[in-house]
Amino acid sequence: MFRVASIRLAALVSRARVAATVTAAPRLAINKPNMMPSIITSARWYSDNGGLSREKIESRIINLLQDFDKVNQEKLTPTADFSKDLGLDSLDTVEVVMAIEEEFSVEIPDDDADNISSVKKAIDYIAGREDAN
Amino acid sequence: MGTRRLSGLQKDVLRLYRDCLRAIKTKPEETQHRFRAFARQEFEKNIVSVKRTDVRAIEYMLRVGRRRMEQYMSPNVRDISFI
Repeated sequence: MFRVASIRLAALVSRARVAATVTAAPRLAINKPNMMPSIITSARWYSDNGGLSREKIESRIINLLQDFDKVNQEKLTPTADFSKDLGLDSLDTVEVVMAIEEEFSVEIPDDDADNISSVKKAIDYIAGREDAN
Repeated sequence: MGTRRLSGLQKDVLRLYRDCLRAIKTKPEETQHRFRAFARQEFEKNIVSVKRTDVRAIEYMLRVGRRRMEQYMSPNVRDISFI
């Protein structure tokens, strides 16, 4: 996928250069470079989330849950289920997910938030969010 | 899996609660904890007073709750006191 994107991008760049230098029509020279950003942003980068490693995400989520006084601390593990293990009710879970939002400065849409019901699911979700930090 | 699937109605309730918590963030920081305690208390009150199978009552309370949230969202409401 990256290869295809980079080849296309290279082709565009060279075409744009040609347009800018050779073509006299100013409309073309302006239009071509404008197409580039959309192509760049449509390429996905499957990197390790800008330095957010799984271990880091895990420890930050665990820390956050340690500060949450309703959590059954004895059962707090990276695989703990919010309700079965940690003893949280559904309102508590909403609060925890909101706290995770704040911790990683992301907004979690309702549909995603409804499915985060364990520490592991929270870690997976944040690991999959490229804009988390 | 083991985690209970939420019904549509349960999701609606949790969404209202989430919206309330989001709205509370627009309040002055020093009063936010009171708004949070108030919202929590209101939801808990109804959890015990309404049967979970009473769909119509829950739908009604959702509407009332949303309307109340919108009233409290007015920037004129800066603090809250309750018992």
